[in-house]
Amino acid sequence: MAKKTAEARTGEWAARWADIKYTFYLLRKNPLVMAGSIIAIFFVVLALLANFIVDPNLANPSGYPDFDGNYPFERKLVWNRDSIISWPGRIHLYEGPEQFLLGTDSWGRDLFKMIILALPVDMENAFIITVGAAAFGTLIGALAGYAGGVVDEAVLRITDIFLAFPALVLALVFAAMFGRTLSTLRYALLLVWWPPYVRLMRGQILGEKEKGYVEALRALGGGHIGILFRHILPNSIYPILVQATLDFGGVILTFSALMFLGFSPSPSLPELGNLAASGYEHIFEAPWLIVFPGLTMLIIALAFNLVGDGLRDVLDPKLRR
Amino acid sequence: MKIYEYVVRRLILMIFVLLGISILVFYLARGFPSGIAPWAAYITPKMTAQQIEEVKRIHGFDQPLHIQYFYWMRDILHGDWGRAGIWAQGRPVSEVLFSHFPYTVELSVAAMMITIAVGMPLGIISALKNNKLPDHVSRIIALTGYSTPSYWFGFMLQLVFFYYFRLWGLPNLPSSGASGMEGAVSWVTGMPVLDGLIAGNVQYTLDALRHLILPATSLAFISLGFLARIVRASMLEVMRQDYITLARSKGLRERVVIYRHALKNALIPAVTLAGIFFAWLLGGALITEFVFAWPGVGQLSLQAVSQGDSNFLLLYTLVIAAIIVIANLVVDIAYIFLDPRIKY
Repeated sequence: MAKKTAEARTGEWAARWADIKYTFYLLRKNPLVMAGSIIAIFFVVLALLANFIVDPNLANPSGYPDFDGNYPFERKLVWNRDSIISWPGRIHLYEGPEQFLLGTDSWGRDLFKMIILALPVDMENAFIITVGAAAFGTLIGALAGYAGGVVDEAVLRITDIFLAFPALVLALVFAAMFGRTLSTLRYALLLVWWPPYVRLMRGQILGEKEKGYVEALRALGGGHIGILFRHILPNSIYPILVQATLDFGGVILTFSALMFLGFSPSPSLPELGNLAASGYEHIFEAPWLIVFPGLTMLIIALAFNLVGDGLRDVLDPKLRR
Repeated sequence: MKIYEYVVRRLILMIFVLLGISILVFYLARGFPSGIAPWAAYITPKMTAQQIEEVKRIHGFDQPLHIQYFYWMRDILHGDWGRAGIWAQGRPVSEVLFSHFPYTVELSVAAMMITIAVGMPLGIISALKNNKLPDHVSRIIALTGYSTPSYWFGFMLQLVFFYYFRLWGLPNLPSSGASGMEGAVSWVTGMPVLDGLIAGNVQYTLDALRHLILPATSLAFISLGFLARIVRASMLEVMRQDYITLARSKGLRERVVIYRHALKNALIPAVTLAGIFFAWLLGGALITEFVFAWPGVGQLSLQAVSQGDSNFLLLYTLVIAAIIVIANLVVDIAYIFLDPRIKY
């Protein structure tokens, strides 16, 4: 790489920083994006603090010391009589001293506390899957787009193979063959989530590498790796960020769908899909069991989608300014 | 390049993609033996150990995995996809799959129709009232659609339209199955609604339609948001073009500008996404079928997964993948005819 003065470097970063500040200014003007970000940040913070707010031992069905390791049968699937919502139908009403904000599940656990404990499990997995898939896909896509030729064609055909499956079907087969553990589910979803990022990044790179500044850098004697990772990549990363934000909600939904379909390592694991799964057999007698975990997922996914959707509008060069 | 050259090139590439898919799926399904042994259905209790070895040898199960793949290919090309486990009475897997496939097709097509009927107007309104109240409302509906866990939405529909409506004495919809009058008409297409129409049995058709409403709505709700967003984006793009300004300056009415000039071009990207939508619907149908006890292939595949039946899973994944690959090819070819600017 040609020698660069310190000022040129600061100038470059100042320009990028100004651009980011302008993006935030545009985002702040959109009320839906603001609402989405506040909800998303709220849930992220709640997930980080969950294990301090609620005792994680409560998730263990045999972890109730006052019941000698037995399930607390008298509070299975109950709803407080004086709660705000009254469900029509055959509902087990509970008149004991305890208050269960969202009722109890089939083990007699407090559903509200279980939902809080489920947040870190879902958010952590969704984060790992989204970031892993985006990073891997971006790397492969960047290399394929920059290299072109046979490498590009081969990478495209491989992504074709993966894109020919609905995400859930491939993840299902993978999870079925490798057993029911959290890490299997993680690999299964990584396997289906990276190819779209390859396509996206490759498209970006193809447009970017023909630009004048790339030629100028090459004329100055810039190495391929330096040009690709220091110049082209930062200039084409925005669509990846948008896609990753939009995918976060989708990953949570698919991850919990796999859990719901029975790929959970343990039926008592507090995870939103798993909580809903334990409820669908009792849907008409204890609807809260499926209503509230699903609603939580909907709110989280919607928050991230609102942010991603706003970001897409703001970062689109045609709609900007 | 001429159009037919492009089509031939794509067809050749498609074969390679399908081969790649079959290798990937084969290694996933057979490489990690768990559940039912793939040769189990060929064996009868009366066989001696020697005869069992003979069966394994004929189908190549005594060979290493990469050789087994070729034996499997040979069997497929002879039309033998293997047999399903006891859960499907040990019938040939192709028979099991294709007897239930029409149900999945019916559900996916119905969902696709709802998606287009609701998603498209939503996207158009959103673009025409850009950044005004209708745009925000349509954006929230669209985003809620694809932020909703599909199984949860299905159960909510059941809870309200089946259980509570019945509780309140309102006309309610059935919560499970594809038909309440099995066997009332003869099997022609396998799709209850179509079979009812062919037989001219009004009662049967209406009953099948009633069964279809909730699952199709549940399935469509997720994809209509995507369609609305795509139509909005492409409509906004088209409305900025010079020829729209020209049409307006000629003094054409706004309605004519929108429907005659803008909409036609704005719908091209939506058409190209039809293939991908179909994929989503087939994949999403798996969960919807589970929730509504719909007798389609998605529900069968879940049974096969829980039984570890690799024969069925191989056929199921390959059929789904082949449909998606072919749908994408058809869409790409349709694109050439829809948009004369594209040359290959």
